Amino acid sequence: MTATVVEASPCRAGAIAQAYELARRSTVNMWRQPQAWAPGLFFPLMLTAVYAAQFAKAIHQPGFPPVDSYLDFVLPASVLQAVAFGATGGAAELAKDIENGFFDRLVTSPVSRVSILVGRIAGSAIFAGFQAGLIMVLLIAFGVTIKGGVASAAVIMITAVLLALGIGGLGLVLALRSGSQEIVQSTFPVLFVLLFVSGTFWPTSLMKGWYGNVARHNPITWIIEPLRELVIEGWSWGSAGRALGITFGLAVFTTSLAFATMRARLRRL
Amino acid sequence: MTESPLTTGQRVSSIAHDFGVFRALTARGMMRMRRIPALIIPAIMMPMFFVIAFSGSFSALANVEGFPTPRVINWMVPYAILQGASFAGMGAAGGTATDIEGGFFDRLLLAPCRRPILMVGPLGYSALRSLIPTTLVLLLSLALGADLPGGALGLLCLYVAAVGVALLFGTLGLAFVYKFRSLKSLSIVQIFIFGFMFLSIGQVPLALQSGWLQHAARLNPMTNILRLSRQGFLGHVTWHGTWPGLVAIAGLVLGFGAVAYRNLRRIVP
Amino acid sequence: MSNAPIEARGLVRSFGDVKAVEGVDLTVAEGEVFGFLGPNGAGKSTTVRMLVTLLRPTAGTARVAGFDVVRDAHQVRRAIGVALQDAAIDPLMTGNELVRLQAVLHGIPRRVAEARGAELLERVGLTGAADRRVGTYSGGMRRRLDLALALVHEPKVLFLDEPTTGLDPTSRVSLWEEVRRLNTELGTTVFLTTQYLEEADELAHRIAIIDGGRIVREGIPAELKASVGAPTLKVDVALASVDAARSVLAQFGAERPARAGRIAIGLPEGAAQMPAVVRALDDAGVRVSHLELDSPSLDDVFADATGRRLEGADE
Ligand SMILES: Nc1ncnc2c1ncn2[C@@H]1O[C@H](COP(=O)(O)OP(=O)(O)OP(=O)(O)O)[C@@H](O)[C@H]1O
Ligand SMILES: [Mg+2]
Repeated sequence: MTATVVEASPCRAGAIAQAYELARRSTVNMWRQPQAWAPGLFFPLMLTAVYAAQFAKAIHQPGFPPVDSYLDFVLPASVLQAVAFGATGGAAELAKDIENGFFDRLVTSPVSRVSILVGRIAGSAIFAGFQAGLIMVLLIAFGVTIKGGVASAAVIMITAVLLALGIGGLGLVLALRSGSQEIVQSTFPVLFVLLFVSGTFWPTSLMKGWYGNVARHNPITWIIEPLRELVIEGWSWGSAGRALGITFGLAVFTTSLAFATMRARLRRL
Repeated sequence: MTESPLTTGQRVSSIAHDFGVFRALTARGMMRMRRIPALIIPAIMMPMFFVIAFSGSFSALANVEGFPTPRVINWMVPYAILQGASFAGMGAAGGTATDIEGGFFDRLLLAPCRRPILMVGPLGYSALRSLIPTTLVLLLSLALGADLPGGALGLLCLYVAAVGVALLFGTLGLAFVYKFRSLKSLSIVQIFIFGFMFLSIGQVPLALQSGWLQHAARLNPMTNILRLSRQGFLGHVTWHGTWPGLVAIAGLVLGFGAVAYRNLRRIVP
Repeated sequence: MSNAPIEARGLVRSFGDVKAVEGVDLTVAEGEVFGFLGPNGAGKSTTVRMLVTLLRPTAGTARVAGFDVVRDAHQVRRAIGVALQDAAIDPLMTGNELVRLQAVLHGIPRRVAEARGAELLERVGLTGAADRRVGTYSGGMRRRLDLALALVHEPKVLFLDEPTTGLDPTSRVSLWEEVRRLNTELGTTVFLTTQYLEEADELAHRIAIIDGGRIVREGIPAELKASVGAPTLKVDVALASVDAARSVLAQFGAERPARAGRIAIGLPEGAAQMPAVVRALDDAGVRVSHLELDSPSLDDVFADATGRRLEGADE
């Protein structure tokens, strides 16, 4: 590990090189463990396929957006769901490093502290972009048209990366505070609930009562709906701006919180 | 040699012995569950959430022609309950896997009772504990506006189906655990549960499904079990709606049970 | 076949490529305490697990309490009590709960079980801890509980796999006493595995030494020791003069295995030869730091059979 360390007080270029090295390490690690990421691709795709078949007739009802197939409607949801499945992977790895003491060795070595965190979530974020691309290609092969074209596809991909950073950052905060993999992984049911009580799988305009209200005020809905407009209606600066703005804000907020937590943890040492 | 009641050959009869072991193993499962509530809590929370999320998200299904009830919650309750029962049912396998990993299973194997009792005992625990999520989810659903036009017979069908599902996934789990001797192997069983539950009439009736899913759901025995559990929520209980579910349960339990028993006998004479 | 409580013929067990047990023959007579001695990985536990019906033999047969361990496994289980190497215990249960469960598992009527359970817990000194969860027990307490559990149904044949490993000296001695009592008062046949020579020497009427899956010696400890013949002379010298000492000592007897820095030989005439040995060493200018003459021990039997010493058994 310390082999990558060049000097005791790293200059900016050194920090970037270290972050790159750590990011590469976490990406390669992830790639080598298909059992860690394969379910995160398989289950969302499976869910997409089943939902498309079971809602084949239900989409022809008043109030449902005009789409050729449920797949058009659900594309952004499939992407975000896959991202949510994998986004805490990097944080869980950090928690594992803390559990087994590797983290302490890392912080006492002169590796830049920033690069430790960046390295950990960059892997998840890069992977999220890859997942988004793969899912879009698959769904296009099954007949989906992204009306907003390449630009919309790019926005979906960037949103996926930003969301992975946002959720990953939150995971880092938990990892740094608890130092326990189990706690980081316990965010999964929370994400699952958030995804479900939203406009992810069904238009919120068709949900009744309090449930509809909750779903309409769920931030996931605010991200999904503009992305969906990009797919089924066409390009719009407004939709792109909303999706990117919200996820960017989230990413900045949680990653800053992660850095602050890191500083607090190191002060306690 | 001192004379004691045992050396003079005093033991209970063979049937009383087997029954005693069965009862003790079932009770031991329940005792473990009381001491580690985390063993049952997910199996309660998950179906509760499903009832709320499915009937909230997909309330508009009631507007689709061919959907058999105006109350979407009536459709979703049995599905959520059988999901809960399936996870509760894995208790038999989870407990046995823990025993195998910790060595306690050797003590059970050394008991001079008939071998099937070692399987049936934990299954009794599975069946018993599946009543907990079933009852709690039912109460929650009634509070949220579900009703049961099928009355007491409908209720009976629901409970029979829930216990049946617990038993069938319990035996499937045991088949895996006896073969692979690890708690980890249960994640494969979760994939089975996912497949059985998902490719069925869980969320949407056959008439609304399209293509491949409809074929799969028609062949899936879980579809018959769902019909059995659901009939009391949709109308009156009929023999026609009952027997296919009973046959499916009996067939799967016996089939999985035979595999599990063969795997158990491979471990020991 | 005879009526011996334990009888194995050509027992073999492999795990994939690993041959854990390679053809074990043994006979244990009624009322005997039989010691099964061997180093780590020798195949002791594997043999025990086959004898107690927990493992199917790859080849060979065994009868325990007069029944075949594969065909009549059920009858074998009724007759035996077993305390395995890793005490099979559920940390969530209390001692009392485990005793009650064990009684049910063996079909003992409740009123008999109550009295017997209390008596056994008393005897292994766990009455005070009986209502505590086993997860809070120390290693020694677990082993003692495990022994009590193995006795709940008053087995005719008792299998103990390394019962004293991890026990402190006091607990070890009290466990020995308990085994002896079971054997003499109740006539229980005991099959006991151990890595401790002292334990086998102390407890066993007869022993078998197993190494690499095969029995390399079998018999009554005194006879086995006598068969090794000469007492062992052990000489500690400075490293520099090991070779010189070796050539001197070679004139008196055959070399035996010993740890580094020590030379051991068999001294056919024992103490009578000592003055000559000391003189010869002195003449050769070898400086001796320690010198002892041991009458043959089980360790010598082991060394004679395998060419190695049992770890830590040297002193
Ligand atoms: N389930 C198993 N799978 C594979 N190999 C095994 C298994 N059980 C035992 N072995 C191997 O068989 C050999 C004998 O093991 P065994 O446990 O019988 O030794 P032992 O004499 O009881 O040793 P110890 O004193 O350490 O308890 C060892 O090499 C061990 O690795
Ligand atoms: Mg052993």
